[in-house]
Amino acid sequence: MFRYIFKKIRSSSLKKENERVLRETKSGKENSVPLLPDLDRNLEAVKSILRDSSDVTFHEFNFGHDRRYRAALVFINSMTDKEEIHKNVLQPLMFGSLMLSGDADMDFTRIENIRKNLISITENQKVVLLNDLVDNLLRGAAILLINGSKEALAIKSRKRETRSIDEPATEAVVRGPREGFIEDVNVNIALIRRKIKVPDLCVEKLVIGEKSKTDVYIVYIKSVADPELIEEVRTRLERIRIDAILESGYIEQFIEDDPWSVFPTVSNSEKPDKVVAKILEGRAAILVDGTPFALVVPMVFIESFQSVEDYYSRPFLASITRIIRFLSYIISTLGPAIYVALTVFHQELIPTQLLISIAEGRERVPFPAILEASLMIFAFDILREAGVRLPKPVGQTVGIVGAIVLGEASVQAGLISPIMVIVVSSTAIASFAVPAQTDSGTILRYIYLALAGIAGGFGVIIGLLVTLLHLVSLRSFGTPYLWPIAPLNFSGLKDVFIRMPLWMQAKRPKAIAVNGRDLRNQGPVQKPSPYKGDNSDSG
Amino acid sequence: MREKTGMKIAVIVLCIFMVFALSGCLGGREINDLEIVIGIGVDKDEKTGNVLVTAQIVRKQAAGSSPGSDGGGDEKAFWNVSSVGGSIFEAVRQMTHKTGNRLFVSHNQVVIFGNDVAAEGLQSYIDFFLRAREMRPTVLILVAEGRASDVMDAKPETEKFPAMNIAKLVKTYGFTSHLYKVNMKDFASCLMSATTASFAPLISVTEDEGSKDVYVPGMAVFKNGKMVGKLNHDEVRGVLWVLGKVKSGVITVPSPDGKGKAVLEILETKSKAMPEIKDGKIIIHVMVEEDLSLSEQTTAENLATVSAFGEIQDASEEVVRQEIMAAFKKTSELKADIFGFGEMLHKKYSKEWKSMKDNWDDIYPTIELDIVVASRVVTSNLLRNPPSPKEGDK
Repeated sequence: MFRYIFKKIRSSSLKKENERVLRETKSGKENSVPLLPDLDRNLEAVKSILRDSSDVTFHEFNFGHDRRYRAALVFINSMTDKEEIHKNVLQPLMFGSLMLSGDADMDFTRIENIRKNLISITENQKVVLLNDLVDNLLRGAAILLINGSKEALAIKSRKRETRSIDEPATEAVVRGPREGFIEDVNVNIALIRRKIKVPDLCVEKLVIGEKSKTDVYIVYIKSVADPELIEEVRTRLERIRIDAILESGYIEQFIEDDPWSVFPTVSNSEKPDKVVAKILEGRAAILVDGTPFALVVPMVFIESFQSVEDYYSRPFLASITRIIRFLSYIISTLGPAIYVALTVFHQELIPTQLLISIAEGRERVPFPAILEASLMIFAFDILREAGVRLPKPVGQTVGIVGAIVLGEASVQAGLISPIMVIVVSSTAIASFAVPAQTDSGTILRYIYLALAGIAGGFGVIIGLLVTLLHLVSLRSFGTPYLWPIAPLNFSGLKDVFIRMPLWMQAKRPKAIAVNGRDLRNQGPVQKPSPYKGDNSDSG
Repeated sequence: MREKTGMKIAVIVLCIFMVFALSGCLGGREINDLEIVIGIGVDKDEKTGNVLVTAQIVRKQAAGSSPGSDGGGDEKAFWNVSSVGGSIFEAVRQMTHKTGNRLFVSHNQVVIFGNDVAAEGLQSYIDFFLRAREMRPTVLILVAEGRASDVMDAKPETEKFPAMNIAKLVKTYGFTSHLYKVNMKDFASCLMSATTASFAPLISVTEDEGSKDVYVPGMAVFKNGKMVGKLNHDEVRGVLWVLGKVKSGVITVPSPDGKGKAVLEILETKSKAMPEIKDGKIIIHVMVEEDLSLSEQTTAENLATVSAFGEIQDASEEVVRQEIMAAFKKTSELKADIFGFGEMLHKKYSKEWKSMKDNWDDIYPTIELDIVVASRVVTSNLLRNPPSPKEGDK
């Protein structure tokens, strides 16, 4: 009851705050000054704004049949392709216009005339406000100002250093496309478009970040994606007020459903084929300029256990590896906890011979089992963190030193029992099998271990129940996190523990591509069968 | 608002760190603090007449799989601790004066009662083993022909622990069906029946050129908790035939030509016992079906023929019949209803049972057994003809 009232009060105060912020930001835009028909005064205005930037070029020139038009080209050196500007803007203006014989009747103070007749760069835009002008300038456009015109032309001839399309380091595959997203969002969109060639693939653009003004794109298929989902994504993205978006992780943290959950509700990937597969299921991808990691919403829990290669290889091995991934996750979260619970609280559950060898191994160990386990896991986490950040050759050294010190020496010195080394190292290996849940796995491992240390199996069960309750209540953009297990959906189960053949998965996931949308993703009944031959053949 | 969340996080972090200080507060105990008991022997102390309990404890330092790595290679892996007390529980607690650590009995494999204790009656002794929380009701129960502590001292050659070795001897009863494994729960339920006698495997030590070995010579028969007699191997199998517990075993019959022996292996058995009261006489119909295989023959004649199999089958049926009769004869002398015929009658003839119940001991020896054995030799294994020179080649 009280909680409800508190919630109401909080939400209303949040609403007011939100409105205030919106009002302020809007009014900022309205303050903008229009351009004047006087070139000198316009240049003065731009110069005063960019007073301290030394890398801005102001190039004034005359053009026209009798050089009667005065103009200026403003651009930032480092961001603009000068070659292109020379060839496609300055040359046509200064020399091309000479060749126009009856140029008297063409008024070049009208930007429209220049744009249509002289400029050979397709991506350009008219600007009338000073703010827009500066905005475009900072994005790398060259600004053409003409004396006597109230408008300016922003010519987008951006020069940008990008790396080539590479195999993503985080999601290597044995079979499957090796291309990965890069930092340039335009290339990334091209990679997606190359895989989905339908007109209703929507690419919506948003600009987020007060200072970074980062381009953010929502990519989805209109006929498949739930319009409510897209609306929700849009509102959540528009709500973000932040200085800069440096990586898609920034956005992820602002649009998550439950920011206090250890489970991620937004998935990310570097692989175009993976993102496209999810878009085809009715999800929305969020591409951010400057990072190769694209976000995809909604995310369900089982996605973490699916890999693109499951679908590229035949279903048998794929199903086994998927089950292995589920088991690995269980081992990686529960392994040390179960070991501690068994050896400290439930010795009667261990087979006699095993108990004797555990007892023998532990005989010289001076620590309680819980401390022993925590030390080992902690040491492993240090090793992993150290190895990730270091350059490759040094990283290997860390691994070897760690293996010798932790695995050999600690046992020899009698600090750690050999079985604990086995438990922790198998836990560590298992934790790499499900990279999407590294977050939750690492944290839950410590929590379960603590519970096992306090109350044994009872504590672990309590922890598991709380986790289960949390998972069941979690949603990602309206989709239940545990779908299709809870709520149960039989056609969805074809792709959970066992990956059924593709020809049996004729429909898109129902919880994501909602009913009423385009649910079929292939023709009916396509079970492959040997060629039976017709009558003329059989004779 | 923000301060509150900060506090919450601080509290959670503190709780996690407290785990290290508080570990073991909810009944946890580190393995290092436990003495793992794998066998218990119960004897009578000769001087005081009190209970002498011997516990076999794992010596963790020496139990390691690699001998000679640290510590002496020839060290014993176990330690037998004895203690005298007015009762078993008292004696067990007294043991902590010697061990320093708590005894952990969940992994106890066997309970061995000395001959003197068994003769006195086990009823008062098994109570503790069923009542104690850590004890398992499935622990195996044995009776030593001498003293239990002597049996537990005999170090086996292949196993590290005598108690484990003894448990293994009993658990593999199925190879011969000459004994049967009896656990605490089964023993107690037989004890609680008014008429059924219970039995438990015997264990004794033989000295052979200095090394001590344990073996199971048969089973001890208990009546009302007191040991009244012993059954030898054949008699035990006779009992198991009726109870339907024969798993496998060896039957030896003379070969049809009389020149050697045919040795048969029991593959599968099925049995059924039905009581009947006819003209005031109690008849128990026992039906045994068995599948046999010819495992060995010591004669040159080819036994894998229809006629030879027929004769072997007849002979093996006679062996089974004799075993059952021997068992019945022995238990009649002891007046111990080891087969549970009384319970069978109770179920089928509950009216007549009322009058029989009180003098069942006298009625039991008068029971008539009607034994039908159907045996089938189903295979001669890998050989059809015995490896002997053909007569025609000469």
